[in-house]
Amino acid sequence: MAQTRSSSKLLWDVVAYVIMIGLAIICVFPIIWTFLTSIKVDEDIVTREMVYFPTRFTFDNYVKLWFQSSYPTLVANSLIVTGLTVLICLLTGAIASYSFSRFNFPGRTQLMLGYLVVRMFPAVLMIIPLFIVMRQVGLLDSTVGLAIAYTSFLLPLFVWMLKGFFDSAPKELESAARIDGSTRIGAMLRIVVPIARNGLVATCVFVAIAAWNEYLFALMLTTSQGSRTWPVGLQLMVGEFQLPWGMLAAGGMISILPVVILFAIVQRVMVAGITAGAVKG
Amino acid sequence: MATLSIKGVRKSFGSLEVLKNIDIELEDGGFLVLLGPSGCGKSTLLSIIAGLEPSSGGDVTIGERNVNNVHPKDRNIAMVFQSYALYPTMSVRRNIGFGLEMRKMPTPERDAAVKKAADLLQIEHLLERKPGQLSGGQRQRVAMGRAIVRDPDLFLFDEPLSNLDAKLRVEMRTEIKRLHDRLGTTIVYVTHDQIEAMTLGTKVAVMRNGVIQQFADPQIIYEQPANVFVAAFIGSPTTNFLNGTLEATNGLLSLRHGGGSLDLGGLQQDVGAFVGRPVVAGIRPETLQVAETGVSGTVEVVEPTGPDTMVILNVGGQMLTARLGSRDRPKLGQAMTLSVDARAVNLFDPDSGDRI
Ligand SMILES: Nc1ncnc2c1ncn2[C@@H]1O[C@H](COP(=O)(O)OP(=O)(O)OP(=O)(O)O)[C@@H](O)[C@H]1O
Ligand SMILES: [Mg+2]
Repeated sequence: MAQTRSSSKLLWDVVAYVIMIGLAIICVFPIIWTFLTSIKVDEDIVTREMVYFPTRFTFDNYVKLWFQSSYPTLVANSLIVTGLTVLICLLTGAIASYSFSRFNFPGRTQLMLGYLVVRMFPAVLMIIPLFIVMRQVGLLDSTVGLAIAYTSFLLPLFVWMLKGFFDSAPKELESAARIDGSTRIGAMLRIVVPIARNGLVATCVFVAIAAWNEYLFALMLTTSQGSRTWPVGLQLMVGEFQLPWGMLAAGGMISILPVVILFAIVQRVMVAGITAGAVKG
Repeated sequence: MATLSIKGVRKSFGSLEVLKNIDIELEDGGFLVLLGPSGCGKSTLLSIIAGLEPSSGGDVTIGERNVNNVHPKDRNIAMVFQSYALYPTMSVRRNIGFGLEMRKMPTPERDAAVKKAADLLQIEHLLERKPGQLSGGQRQRVAMGRAIVRDPDLFLFDEPLSNLDAKLRVEMRTEIKRLHDRLGTTIVYVTHDQIEAMTLGTKVAVMRNGVIQQFADPQIIYEQPANVFVAAFIGSPTTNFLNGTLEATNGLLSLRHGGGSLDLGGLQQDVGAFVGRPVVAGIRPETLQVAETGVSGTVEVVEPTGPDTMVILNVGGQMLTARLGSRDRPKLGQAMTLSVDARAVNLFDPDSGDRI
């Protein structure tokens, strides 16, 4: 009996591992392939026989991309847009979600639902009106304009996620702080935000990654070098040269670096959040 | 230190009326206990005193100052919450000193004040810890420390002991009493534990459904409950209620009930108008004693609790609980007679439930 149970458990373990390893390979393979492509010499990329494991390595693609194309500007633009988006979300969204979480004002539920409704429509549907609005207010083809466009659909996500974190911070803590001499805003900044810090960081990272990777809005709302972001710029390279696979792969590798770093941060913060959750007992 | 005066305070959440016309006067240095069943509005009243919730009407005066429109931070009160509400991201030291920090007290003085409070509560060794690393009793002390370090006009305690185990609760109760004797600060204390109420309060307000049933000294509340609710709420085991008819023969009062007649000579109430009418007699279990005359019935239940024996007697169909000495162990079904100290009996009007 014990024998069969442990052997069937072993079987399940094996099956589970096989499935998980399979999924991991599917996830990781494109990244590895991109990486390998980025360090291959050109002759090894477009070949008659597939070269799986290159024997000659080169960083030419990275050097060319960084020093002979507009890629650094693209990355800089992306960083600015992402930073602005997070900043706007943080300044407006944190206060908004705090009041959603703490105050019971007329129209509160409707407003929160309204935030969600924005996300119910496909992005394509919003682009044309947004384009017209942006053109009229002169924000077309600017990093600020793009950041505001991103805010339009990332802020709801930000507010809803953060509200959850604020909700879980006990109200009595703020009452205590207010009796101890804080104002409402002071209690929020001194007591609630430190408690919800992990949630705040996680939420910001999600917004940052979404803004960093965004392609469709960036394609529509930017027209020049001055505000174009990397996903669009990289795609446009396909036309400018004739399919520079090596450089595209190098661009891909560089652009996933920030995402990887951000995820590493979130993951650590999340784990810390779980273990440090002892607020009451 | 200050007096507290609450006049006609009301509170509604939407259509739900939680507090109805609350009137309370507490003298300087007094210890008011708000007592009542769960959901009767005790915490809400405390929040209104603290300024955390706006009232729907009425006046709150602390000292000479009407505080209706004063922010909580400017009321100079300190509060201990039921959940303690310690700031989880701060050390115990900073938790206790936070109120002083907010009031811009210089660091050396603040440290000295924190140390003094910590000494008083014997938590000096915990100062560098985070609240998450404390036991329930230690948290309770830290919460207390955060309140006393401030030297406020008024302390508000919301069931501070309800999360503690029975032994610790008794210890902390004594400690709070000592603290009050030492500091002499006016205190409002919420509880639904009637022993806490009786031992701590200089004044007790018994609440029910947002209405104050009785506001008096603890002894008065115990000896002369204003109505059936208060009589039943205070005391453990609860007061016995014996239904009967009040009779007067040759000027001697007695209660005719299903199991016979009970002599009420020595009754402390003026009940003239109720002679010949049905009344409810409130009889405390601890005033009953084994005797030759009194109320007679058959023993239904015997519960030894250690120091006492609880005996439930069937008196003509009505149940009467008596708290007898540990030696009195009657047998089930046995006939028994208990004497009633008429001076400790309260008669209530069966229609309104009020004390006659
Ligand atoms: N914010 C609120 N909105 C609506 N109703 C509320 C709110 N706060 C309290 N109540 C209601 O007010 C009533 C009194 O609540 P309160 O917290 O004052 O009770 P309590 O006497 O402190 O009870 P307990 O002993 O359980 O703490 C309850 O019926 C409660 O449901
Ligand atoms: Mg309460």
